[in-house]
Amino acid sequence: MQAKQYIGESWKHGILIVGAILVLLPFYMMVSMSLKSQQEIQSISGGLIGAQEVQTFPVCVKTGYSEETCTTKPYIYNYWFAFEKAPIPRYLMNGVIVTLSIFIIQVLVALPCAYALAKLRFYGREFVFSMVLFCLLIPVHGIALPLYVMLAQAGLVDTYSALILPWTISVFGIFLMRQFFMTVPDELIDAARMDGMGEYSIVWKVMLPTAIPALLAFAIFSVVAHWNDYFWPRMVITGNRDLFTPPLGIREFRGGIDSDEFGPMMASIVTVTVPLIVAFIIAQKRFIEGITLTGMK
Amino acid sequence: MHNSKAHIWFIAPAIILMIIILIFPLFLAGGISFTDYNLGNKSLEWIGLENYEKMFSRKTYVKMIWATATYVIVVVPISVVLGLCAAMLLNSLRFGADIYKTIFFLPVMATLLAMAIAWEFTLHPTLGIVNSFLANGCGGVREFILGFHWLPWVDSQQSWYHVACANNMDFPYWLKQKNTAIWTICFIGIWQAFGFNMVLYLAGLTGIPRELYHAAEMDGAKSTWEQFKLVTWPMLGPTTLFVVTITTIRTFQVFDTIEILTKGGPSKTTYVMMYAIFEKAIQQNLTSIGAAITVVFIGFILILTFFQRYIIEKRVHY
Repeated sequence: MQAKQYIGESWKHGILIVGAILVLLPFYMMVSMSLKSQQEIQSISGGLIGAQEVQTFPVCVKTGYSEETCTTKPYIYNYWFAFEKAPIPRYLMNGVIVTLSIFIIQVLVALPCAYALAKLRFYGREFVFSMVLFCLLIPVHGIALPLYVMLAQAGLVDTYSALILPWTISVFGIFLMRQFFMTVPDELIDAARMDGMGEYSIVWKVMLPTAIPALLAFAIFSVVAHWNDYFWPRMVITGNRDLFTPPLGIREFRGGIDSDEFGPMMASIVTVTVPLIVAFIIAQKRFIEGITLTGMK
Repeated sequence: MHNSKAHIWFIAPAIILMIIILIFPLFLAGGISFTDYNLGNKSLEWIGLENYEKMFSRKTYVKMIWATATYVIVVVPISVVLGLCAAMLLNSLRFGADIYKTIFFLPVMATLLAMAIAWEFTLHPTLGIVNSFLANGCGGVREFILGFHWLPWVDSQQSWYHVACANNMDFPYWLKQKNTAIWTICFIGIWQAFGFNMVLYLAGLTGIPRELYHAAEMDGAKSTWEQFKLVTWPMLGPTTLFVVTITTIRTFQVFDTIEILTKGGPSKTTYVMMYAIFEKAIQQNLTSIGAAITVVFIGFILILTFFQRYIIEKRVHY
């Protein structure tokens, strides 16, 4: 019996390990290419990190740097040159600006609305709620074209506003917060009213603190979605490098796949991809919770 | 209760934004699709259904529907089944489940665009490790396994692997070839999506009470497969319905991998709807035809979700 169980267990691990290798393959390729020299990449040699021989990089010299600066180990060169070629910090900062603005505005709009839908009685409440339920069905990417036309007519293409505006309303956020507020006991709110608190202070001083766990999950959901989003920025940002979000940066690095050096290109891509992955590995449970949030009912 | 007018201020911003950002664009897209409007034009003319006629008669758009349908029909079932299998395997594991879970969830988290480029290099005919792995395996175990020589009806001299080896390592240019491009894109789609489904299924599995399995065993369902049929699968009904819907909606919206890897080619075999909207309306400035595609696209999604709601109300009660 014992032996049989071990065999069963090993089989499962065998299958899962093959799966894990397939899943990790592109990650391996990405990291490996960002560390190796061009020759090693082209001859597919050197394993994960390559030989790391000190050498002079011709593309670097051609760009106009001194021979001394260009003589170094491949991994240092790849990452250094990546930062020299493109304003990576700028792209990352744009990512932070856009995702944070989106999240903050989403909360500012959704939280009071959710509170009103859950805890206040007023004429038309049911109608507003069914409107929310209907809007849940509309994928914002699907209506990207009419949104683009509207923004173009308003002269907002190629601005931060274009990146942020369409995402300011999160019906999903309203729905989620409303479900959460339904579980908050009325007594808490009544007590706050007795103390003389107005409705505004109730929203921000009573409801907001109770909603922190749900908000955190929603934050991860929202930030991950918009940090990784490529379609929308690609639509509304046409050429202005100053407004590039990380994915637009990635697209730019890829540029000439046949002419360019691959090492620095992959180094840029790794740099842009890493922050989120590190955050995920540190706070895994919360991330999985947040991203599968749409699975909650 | 209370007589304040606070609620107006609470709901007004949300309502105004919903109308401007979500509801009005639906009508705008519908309106534009019946005209010959192009962005920047001063005037426009009503042309009725002409855009839609084009969509269902011109070869490009027929190919577009085909590519989208192929992608959705391949990616949804496979990623759902893989997600379920992975979840059940992990659930039955004694140790190490957390590590696999983290690994399988990585693609969901990682920037898809970056991973698409990583795949491009992994599958590159001369730089990629996939084709070099295949080339090094000629005549060996790899050829036997991946060439399906172990299947009784495969002639080992005629298998795709053997032929490629014999023809000077002529392995596929995965993303550049007409007969492989769409399948490669599908593969990346599945690679990215199944971890998400796995996590949803894991949550679903923890919701199944242990007693049900004991009861099933007493009723004579001894084997794992019988227990799966009797308990697990019916109990996961609501989860499955949800997973299928959300995967379908996401799959319909595939764009990143197409734009960066194939640009809809070769010969429009990967020309999916989101990419068509982008190419027509933004790059070629044919706004009205883009709007017509948008309308059809939204139509698909709405039908799908209503269908899901209908099933929820009718069937999936256990």
